[in-house]
Amino acid sequence: MTERARNTLFFIAGPVLFFLYGYAALNLPPWGSYRGPYGDAIARLVVYQRHATDIVNAINYDYRGFDTLGEEFILFTAVLGVSMLLRKEESALTKPAGKLSDEVALSGAVRAVNLPALLITTIFGLYIGLHGQLTPGGGFQAGVILATGIVLIYICENTSAFWRITSHSIVEVTEALGAGAYAIIGIIPLFAGLPFLCNFIPLGTTGDVFSSGTIALISASVGVEVTASFLLVVYIYLQEIIAGALSEED
Amino acid sequence: MPGILHSLPYFVAGWLLLCGLYGLVTSKHLVHAVVCLAILQSSTYMLLLAIGYRVGGAAPIFADISTSKLVVDPVVQALMLTDIVVEAVVVALLLAMVVKAHEKSGSVSPNDLRTLRG
Amino acid sequence: MTNPAISPALAVAVPLLSAAVLAAVRKWLTRTAMDLLGLLASLATLAITGVLLYGAVVHGASVYWLGGWWPRGSVAIGIAMVIEPIGVSLAMLAALLTSLSLLFSWRFMDAGGKHLHPLMLIFLAAMCGFSLTGDLFNLFVFFELMSIAAFALCGLKTAEPAPLQGSFNFAITNSVAGFVVLTGIALLYAVTGALNMAQIGLSIGHRHDPLVLFACTLIFCGFLTKAAIVPFHLWLPDAHAVAPTPVCVLFSGLMVELGLYAVARIYSAIFAQSFSPHTQALHNLLFAFAATTVLLAGFMCYAEHHLKRMLAFSTVCHAGLMLAALASGGALGLAAMLTYLVAHAFVKGGLFFLSGVLLHNQRSITERELFAKGRGLPWAAALWILGAVGLAAAPPFALLLGEAAAEHAAELHHLEGLSALFVIGGALTSAAVLRVGMHTFFGWGEGALTDRSAEIGELPETTPEDRKLRPYHLIPPALCMLLAIALFADPHWLRILRDAAAAMASQAAYLHTTYTGQNVPLTQSSWREAIPGAVARSILALVLGLLVALSSVFRNTLPRKLRLGAFLERGFRPLREMQSGHPGDYVLWMTMGIAAFGSAAMLLLRR
Repeated sequence: MTERARNTLFFIAGPVLFFLYGYAALNLPPWGSYRGPYGDAIARLVVYQRHATDIVNAINYDYRGFDTLGEEFILFTAVLGVSMLLRKEESALTKPAGKLSDEVALSGAVRAVNLPALLITTIFGLYIGLHGQLTPGGGFQAGVILATGIVLIYICENTSAFWRITSHSIVEVTEALGAGAYAIIGIIPLFAGLPFLCNFIPLGTTGDVFSSGTIALISASVGVEVTASFLLVVYIYLQEIIAGALSEED
Repeated sequence: MPGILHSLPYFVAGWLLLCGLYGLVTSKHLVHAVVCLAILQSSTYMLLLAIGYRVGGAAPIFADISTSKLVVDPVVQALMLTDIVVEAVVVALLLAMVVKAHEKSGSVSPNDLRTLRG
Repeated sequence: MTNPAISPALAVAVPLLSAAVLAAVRKWLTRTAMDLLGLLASLATLAITGVLLYGAVVHGASVYWLGGWWPRGSVAIGIAMVIEPIGVSLAMLAALLTSLSLLFSWRFMDAGGKHLHPLMLIFLAAMCGFSLTGDLFNLFVFFELMSIAAFALCGLKTAEPAPLQGSFNFAITNSVAGFVVLTGIALLYAVTGALNMAQIGLSIGHRHDPLVLFACTLIFCGFLTKAAIVPFHLWLPDAHAVAPTPVCVLFSGLMVELGLYAVARIYSAIFAQSFSPHTQALHNLLFAFAATTVLLAGFMCYAEHHLKRMLAFSTVCHAGLMLAALASGGALGLAAMLTYLVAHAFVKGGLFFLSGVLLHNQRSITERELFAKGRGLPWAAALWILGAVGLAAAPPFALLLGEAAAEHAAELHHLEGLSALFVIGGALTSAAVLRVGMHTFFGWGEGALTDRSAEIGELPETTPEDRKLRPYHLIPPALCMLLAIALFADPHWLRILRDAAAAMASQAAYLHTTYTGQNVPLTQSSWREAIPGAVARSILALVLGLLVALSSVFRNTLPRKLRLGAFLERGFRPLREMQSGHPGDYVLWMTMGIAAFGSAAMLLLRR
């Protein structure tokens, strides 16, 4: 189809779609007047039933925990897909760590800030991860923050240090075990005759860090998995760059 | 007129959907196409959040407010969290495909990558 | 409340856990160990779904609330899994096809082969979750999981440029479809405040204002993209042409059909009451899309010379036939679609396995290169011809029963043209398969034609030194054909399917089961009287297909006027142009399709 034909046809179909969307949207409840039963029902029940104060995470890891299991495995599958698409044949992977050299010498200021920045990011990430059931946060957010902290090393230190840290097999194994742990936490209640993903750990007191039972536990396993998978993705893309750089030199 | 104003966030969501589709249809660069897909996804975020909002409602965190206070809908926010993760990884996977396609055929324009015609 | 004997969530959790474990230890396991563990995991899932099916059939349908979250009043606060015979048998079909695919791929694709098993197990888990769930957002999550595993599996052969393009087109179109579905779900949530399918159906009741119509359009069009209905079908031939054989089996055998299942489930659970004054109009609309699909895909199928692309177009054609069966209305139409679905899954799976056998043994997949090369494969030839007979829905294949039911339903609801559609679709697809069989396995004629898309060829999937056919190559297709025939001979499963379809088509029964966990036994009468007519029509289709194939194979000895086969093989230029390989074109067709469906829905279903 020529570009002109594409544009013309889209300028017919697109506005029709937008008009249908607008026509339908006029029948929606006015903005700001949410009146559905689902959110209110859960908001009334959460603190009493699960001793958790962050409703969004309670929904994610408990009421609709099955959705989050699927979502975590979406993340796992996509990372598996990326590692499969960009895989290198075993013979093509020489020992790159010795040959990695950063082109621009790092300034002293950057290197001085590196370690404190890493420490602060890691502590912040752990804080967010552990307090998921109390305040906004939880496993996914903590995983991204921790992974970013480690990528700081790549940005501020040298590539070879980052390479040493994200040694392929440990990161991969951690990722898979984090994903599997969620499924295991779901299966364990079945042995006691309870339904899948039932919250079977003592709930503790509201407001405590170690409260709300399996919500905190699942949040932790998700955090581990997300950290490992983001590191793995950065590592795989880094391999692409290194492979490209090596072939340019030859 | 008041009817339109009451539905304005929904129109914005519809506009984002249209822009994303237009970008996908007329894209000349595969990375641009992937980003347009992300824009399409943003329209669903806009729609979900607009649906769940309640004027005068507090954030659904009961750490510092009493349980009887009115909060906005937490369910759509949970759905959005799921959504964001899905989008991020779809984009990562698609970009890996683009990198590999560039490696194999040297081009990132959809017009050049037409071995599957006919 | 009756509870199922084992938790249905195990059908999802066991393959997921096995995939995680296999991915964790894949560096240290040998290929054979991974093959074995993968096969064991999918057989375990087969056993689990078998137990669930036994429970659903003997004790009736039940509901399972995950996490123990029973509904409060009519508000569902957790996620439900509804265990009723249809969903569970689709999950069991998924497990069976995955086990056969893993058996076929024993020591297959040594490069990158270790990624295959975790991805296929995750794909299986997603298909099981998709079939069993009773919650709309959960359906979307498993739809996305299924899609992402499929994108990754499709691009497995990274050594060539074509798989990446096929995979990219697949990913773009199906991701757009997923987001369109999510928009529809959000609109439904806005008016009902619920995500559980039964609760949404209860809340919507009879309203059919533009919002409900538009949400229905979006959700249906998204799932019809997965079901490869015209004009949303363009991703499927590209994806099938480049995916490895075991993956193609799963795509054509089940993934496409699950899109139709989702449309059927959502319609009967959510929109049945809302559209009740306009059911005939809706059915006509769906039938229009189905008829376009059958005709377009049938002609494109015959014009393809790449085996997998040809089989892909035949899948699109049969998906159109299944949608036509569904559109003929009511519980009978639903039973027709499901009967056809199960039998077609086996026949199509068997044909794809055989194309994989040819690729392995002869290192090629285009009709021209394979000319007369299959002469030394008698078993493969026999199974291939059986497959062609099956595609025409002739006896002794169970597709005949589906066709008979669809024609009976069309008669009852005054839907014209359904039988003609079945004859045309069956004739064209079986003609294509017969033509390839005659060229490849018998060596008749003087050489095959080819076309531009067949030139991409395909890199063989196994190592060059090893071209021998082993039992594990031939057992899967043989078993598939055998099951397709056995389903015809056995009457019990048909009665179970009929009654289960009657229960699924009734919104009231679904609501009752979801909220109280109790089974509502419903039955429907058999369609035995329609079978002789269907037999006659399917044999007509087979004979027509044979004639067209013969006129193609022996085209040089026929006078010019009679060279129908060769004429059809050249294909029609506009149809070929439509399949352009450009992702922007595909999204444009999707947009036009959604706009068309939406406008038709607003105009026909509003009053």
